[in-house]
Amino acid sequence: MISLAILAIVIFAGLYMAWNIGSNDVANSMATAVGSKAISIKQALVIAAILNFLGAVLVGKHVTDTVINGIVETSSMAPQHVALGFLAALLSASIFVTLSTWKELPVSTTHAIIGGITGFGIIEGGLDSIKWSSLGDIALSWVISPIAGAFIAFGVFKLISYFVFSSKKPSQAAKKFGPIFVALTIFIIVLSIFMKTRAGEMLKMNIYEIYSVSIFAAFISSIAGYFFIKKMKGKGLKLVESIFKKLQIMTSCYIAFSHGANDVANAVAPVAAVIAFAWHRVDTIYLLMFGGIGIAIGIMTWGHKVIRTVGGRITNLTNTRGFAIDFGAATVVLTASKLGLPISTSHTVVGAVIGVGLARGLDAVDLGVIKNIIYSWLFTLPATIATSILIYIGLTIIF
Amino acid sequence: MPYRVPVVETYRKKSPFDGLLEHMHVVKKCISMLTDEVIKYYDGNFEGFAKVAEEVSKMEHEADLIKGNIRAHLPRSILMPVDKKYFLWLLREEDSILDHAENLAQLLDLRHTRIPDELREDFKEHARKVAETVEEMEKAVGKVKELVETGFASRIREEVKKLIHNVHKKEWEADQVRYRIMKKIYEIEDKLDAMDEYHLLKISDWVDDIADHAENVADWLRAMVAK
Repeated sequence: MISLAILAIVIFAGLYMAWNIGSNDVANSMATAVGSKAISIKQALVIAAILNFLGAVLVGKHVTDTVINGIVETSSMAPQHVALGFLAALLSASIFVTLSTWKELPVSTTHAIIGGITGFGIIEGGLDSIKWSSLGDIALSWVISPIAGAFIAFGVFKLISYFVFSSKKPSQAAKKFGPIFVALTIFIIVLSIFMKTRAGEMLKMNIYEIYSVSIFAAFISSIAGYFFIKKMKGKGLKLVESIFKKLQIMTSCYIAFSHGANDVANAVAPVAAVIAFAWHRVDTIYLLMFGGIGIAIGIMTWGHKVIRTVGGRITNLTNTRGFAIDFGAATVVLTASKLGLPISTSHTVVGAVIGVGLARGLDAVDLGVIKNIIYSWLFTLPATIATSILIYIGLTIIF
Repeated sequence: MPYRVPVVETYRKKSPFDGLLEHMHVVKKCISMLTDEVIKYYDGNFEGFAKVAEEVSKMEHEADLIKGNIRAHLPRSILMPVDKKYFLWLLREEDSILDHAENLAQLLDLRHTRIPDELREDFKEHARKVAETVEEMEKAVGKVKELVETGFASRIREEVKKLIHNVHKKEWEADQVRYRIMKKIYEIEDKLDAMDEYHLLKISDWVDDIADHAENVADWLRAMVAK
């Protein structure tokens, strides 16, 4: 029988992990919008808290399932050991994330938790208990996601450059271009909310209905967007940037939503696993809400400081660039969330910035960060696997 | 307050293009001042030219500092919308304009050379044409910010190419005037003191160098806007 103590520790550690995501990782996804002055810090806090929560609750299930079931084969293990194992994974990830925040290393919470779970799997069930093919997919997604973010951001910026900047009347072109991207964004978000999710099941929607609803929502919102930017006045490139400033409010919601959908699993999955073995299966939706609230608390208590500092360090970023970066990164993160792939939002955003740089969109991009990120990839897994093993051994001695 | 937000590391605090424009601004100020003073000098007003030479030297140094600062903040890992080599060469050529301006001002100050009456208007025209070449170059380089802002949109690239063409045109015109000056100098060489002749040739040569370097700047800019 697992004592209440374990339950209390795992809930506390899960909350701490969610707090970490809210207090630090959110700043990375909101940095672009705040740095390009599309939204104020207060607006960023509200958008991040609400949209992260919604993303977590509405779309967070897929990645959570992967983290619980996709890495270690637990069916042959004793329930108590599984519970202790996920606790060890969560504790090792928490410690590692705390240390890397303190040392300012570009480590991903996602990588840390996956490493932690792998560590306990190796010691409890041996190398055979690790689902290598699934883990391989996840590792591959870590490499692909920043590249995909770069690719989409590159494409979006090239489109802006070709259709808007190269046009004889850039501001008119931007007014046509804007609603198309509003439609595209809303279509992707609505689709993600209903496709293979609780919301879709509850409404008993079939695939055609989901597509119809998404298209309808996209259509309505693009008309709304059209009227919203139609009246805007100004001249040339300045007006183009102000139009994209408005559009960036949408993309910052998009990235906050996607971030919540992908990263909530890092905090919630271990808690869900422990509760499931200790007690009985709890409805994931409550745990996702718990994670979403944890992230929101992180944003409100500490995240605002990080957002302020980080936003202030990004200058020279115009709204067209910010739009391309956020759209590219958010699309990749949300797609990965639907595919159940736990990726790093931070690294994807970095990829998107480099993509815009490659599209000749930024004055200067420092690629030195790539080296640091690759080092952190190579470093995070062994470190979290090792600490998770040590903590697991300790826990089995105590309980 | 520690945090780990890798995206911040990708952005630079200051754009190298802002630095380039800052540098260009000094070149612009210096050449425009020097041209006015040189024309006075050609008219025979040598008074106060020592101060002019000093002023040019000061601005040359100021531009040097800006140049050094830009270079110091371009690490190997930087990704720019233009080839970094082209950017640095452009900066170097832009800086050479002031090096030559400094040499010229000092030469004019070291020996006050009287311009013969029959050459005076040609010398003035030459100085103006060279100044115009630099002005056209400034217009072209001034577009760099717009180029970056629009992600090198073809519309702006075409505008820049036209401005570059103007630089070549003005430089060619300056060359024509210089050819005329040299021809006339050799025509009247019997009347000229050998030292005077040497200096007249040298002045026209060094004034012309300024236009040549402005043209080089335009050439590097042309390479930068290539697809």
